[in-house]
Amino acid sequence: MILKKSMIRTLKENKFQYAGVILLLLLAVTLYVSLSMAVTTLEERNARFTEDYKQETLHFVPSERIDASKLEEWEETFDITLETRSYYDADLDGSVLRVFSQTEEINRPYIAEGSNPEDDGEIAVSSVFAEKNDLHIGDTLEISGEPVEVTGFVYLPDYIYMLEQMTDLISDAEKFGIATASDRTMDQWADQSQIEITGWSRDGEVPEGFMEAVRTETTILQFVEAGDNPRIQFVDTEIEGAKSMNNTLPLFILALATAMVLLLMRRRIDMQRKEIGTLLALGFRRNELLRHYLGYAWVIGLSGTVLGLAAGAGLSVPLSDLYANYFNLPALSMFDFNPMVLVIAFILPLVLMLSVSAWGIHRALKVEPLTLLRPKEVTVGKKSWLERLPLLNRGTFIHRFRLRLLIRNKARSLYIFLGVMFSTVLLMFGFITFNSMDKLVETTYEDIMTYDYAVYYQSLNTENPEEGSDPFTRSEVKVKGNDTKLTGYGIETDTPYLNLLAEGEKLNPELEEGVVLSTPAAAVLDAAEGEDITLTNSLNDKEMTVQVAGVADVYIGSQIYLPREDFNEFLGYPNESYSAVWQTEKPERGESVYQIEDKQKVIDSFEATSGATRSAVIGMAVFAVVISVIVLTLLTHLIVEENSPSISLFKVMGYHNHEVSKLVLSVYTPVVILSYFISIPLAGLTLGQLMNSLVEQTGFILPTDVSWWMAGTGFIVIMLTYALSLALSKRKLKQVSLQEALKKQQD
Amino acid sequence: MAIFAEKVTKTYQSGEVTVKALREAGLTVPDNKIVTILGPSGSGKSTLLNVIGGIDRYDEGRIEVDGQALDLLKDRQLTEYRRNKIGFIFQQYNLIPTLTVEENVEVGRELSSDPFPMEDILGKVGMFDKKDKFPFQLSGGEQQRVAVARALIKNPDILLCDEPTGALDEETGKNILKLLKYVNDTYGTTILIITHNQGIGEMAHQVIRMSSGEIVETYENETLVDPEQVTWS
Repeated sequence: MILKKSMIRTLKENKFQYAGVILLLLLAVTLYVSLSMAVTTLEERNARFTEDYKQETLHFVPSERIDASKLEEWEETFDITLETRSYYDADLDGSVLRVFSQTEEINRPYIAEGSNPEDDGEIAVSSVFAEKNDLHIGDTLEISGEPVEVTGFVYLPDYIYMLEQMTDLISDAEKFGIATASDRTMDQWADQSQIEITGWSRDGEVPEGFMEAVRTETTILQFVEAGDNPRIQFVDTEIEGAKSMNNTLPLFILALATAMVLLLMRRRIDMQRKEIGTLLALGFRRNELLRHYLGYAWVIGLSGTVLGLAAGAGLSVPLSDLYANYFNLPALSMFDFNPMVLVIAFILPLVLMLSVSAWGIHRALKVEPLTLLRPKEVTVGKKSWLERLPLLNRGTFIHRFRLRLLIRNKARSLYIFLGVMFSTVLLMFGFITFNSMDKLVETTYEDIMTYDYAVYYQSLNTENPEEGSDPFTRSEVKVKGNDTKLTGYGIETDTPYLNLLAEGEKLNPELEEGVVLSTPAAAVLDAAEGEDITLTNSLNDKEMTVQVAGVADVYIGSQIYLPREDFNEFLGYPNESYSAVWQTEKPERGESVYQIEDKQKVIDSFEATSGATRSAVIGMAVFAVVISVIVLTLLTHLIVEENSPSISLFKVMGYHNHEVSKLVLSVYTPVVILSYFISIPLAGLTLGQLMNSLVEQTGFILPTDVSWWMAGTGFIVIMLTYALSLALSKRKLKQVSLQEALKKQQD
Repeated sequence: MAIFAEKVTKTYQSGEVTVKALREAGLTVPDNKIVTILGPSGSGKSTLLNVIGGIDRYDEGRIEVDGQALDLLKDRQLTEYRRNKIGFIFQQYNLIPTLTVEENVEVGRELSSDPFPMEDILGKVGMFDKKDKFPFQLSGGEQQRVAVARALIKNPDILLCDEPTGALDEETGKNILKLLKYVNDTYGTTILIITHNQGIGEMAHQVIRMSSGEIVETYENETLVDPEQVTWS
């Protein structure tokens, strides 16, 4: 159809507007495709690695070595595969390299590069640790005074997220890495090695009665199911979290893009109403014109989706590698193609664009040709109730004119409101996350946990702890009527090493009345102060109903704190016993020590990741600004276009450009400001909800308070964005000719 | 193609005001003739043209074009009627600004199963040399010639011209009239011209005068004045 040419020229003439919408769509599709593809790749790699390299179902740490014959007996009884593995934590100049003995059945190592360490004095290290510590294949390391050669890079399926301690939150590959070595190499460190038993069952479930059977044989220092192991689980959590994020954010941008298309289409049709009337009068059928105008939606939809698909697919490869590095997953595949992602990314925006446009166009085409040929009816003398408010009839002409324009363009105001809201929420998400990391470290690790080291013993201690040490008992407990497992801490209520603070108030004395929960535990249990909960444990059949005396600002981990004596009694331990101590002095790693937790290392991990967080925040801010600039500029351009006869008339009458701009363009400033301030609490609330919904998987909650600096910085960013959009639209305003008013008179 | 109208009534509601645009108007337009409808603004000329052209509906009465009653046609059939039989020329030309002269004419050609050759039509309206120009690059007269070409190329039976010279100066206006006369002579197209320029009536086979929605006078010219010679007012 010859009208196609008209469409192409109109697109060229208004390239800025259409390119803006295409860009919005492109961003939505790129984001969706790249993230979804990366997550698909991550999921696929995780699934293959887990299955092919036999990821453990469980592991436990016995207080003493268990005979092979006993293991065989259990294997037969419980239809489970068991394997003994030893590991040694090597101190490498401030970083820890956990060297594992090589296994053949469970958690089999994957050598990505180089060769498997088979000879004495050979090890394979994780590639991300090697990269961070500038290690290469062939390099020699000194471990406990013995030289060892790096023969390759290794991945272990039970260390996909490389955490030194189970309680750690963030993996820091510079400070902690894993390695594998042959048994002969491991023998050098035998006296300082830890032993753990790994288990694998066909159905991935821990056989019933297995733990009890082990417990009758030995004291279990730690028993971890794969589902509770953050080194294994975190990747699944990330996949789940990313999946919901992958859909939400692009969907919102898609909705914005669709709204913009609808706006543009309605504007186009409004501008071309006379042309449409002429074409109808000439004999064009309505469906022919519908098809013609749908061409705009096709061009926008196709360009945005095709470019977005290409960009998204391209971006997903480095993104997948980034993910893989973050999770220490081998690149078993380069790119895992998910046809559904492509289909959704292609079809959904197109269907949405076309149906919304068709609706808008159809409405306009229902009008009789004669009506379209006439100038649009001017609703002079019709004032809405809002316009009749006395407030709007006061002040200078400029003031009244601006207010009326605002009221008469409610749809524009709404779009601007939503655009600013979207950008503000995105911006605040970044700021809150950034700030929360600091606050989380500050509150949890500095104000609440005042110890420097936690030393966990191989078995229960009953002797008086050394001076400067404060004893506590740690054990896992379950809450009746809930599948959630909590880490129980039996503490001295007057311990100097744990200040259970809640908004500055110390809750330790409240332990006399009941238990104190960490914030994630309270969120998981949906429990509040004053409520009763019943605890159970797997050591005996005892139950204990306790009252929640308070919720402390401990943002990491699902912990429950109670007096040590009560906890020991509940667990069936001797009254004075303890399994660990807190202290400020650096402990020696003796034979009785099972694990040492260095708080500074945990803090350092957070500090190390703050660089990445900062980049993410900057990225998020840039993204928010880009979206905001596109939406606001598109809208202000449309405002200029719609008001061009008035603008022209103002110019004819002698108004200066800046005065006209004040009259027509900056009208929406109050909307921008209002939207911004409404969006701030909304962002905090939304992020809080998101955190609560993910707490079961993540095990932590970020404090979502909005501080003054965030509100101030965000305001500056949003207002600068708005100013940029206005500046861009002012150029268009300047281009409105004086003849425009006369032309309109003729029409 | 003959047009027959009888007791045609059309009422508009404009806000709280009711406007009776046509009051039992009746006319008979013979085949292949030029008919001029004269009258002051608000006399109902355009409304009559619009209902004959099928871009508006009448409330009462009857209009038959080539024996076909327009009030019996559904919207879709009315579109086909416009598409196949009618050519429109507007006072403000209504060209598509983003299409060239040739492309604007092509808009009309696309609607017809038996269009005239493009070169012929562009040649006849004297716009062949400017076929690649855009409307904004043309004078008012040139734009109206393109509008005539657009209406004409689809080989319509009836050409409805709403103030075709209203926006033009005398010389340009007469050129357009010459073109219309040529179309009538060459293709036998029935042409209805509405105008408040009394002089244009001198070149028409039949003149209809309207006032306040009524046809107050109908007469036939015994001798036709050449478009060049019409009295311009």
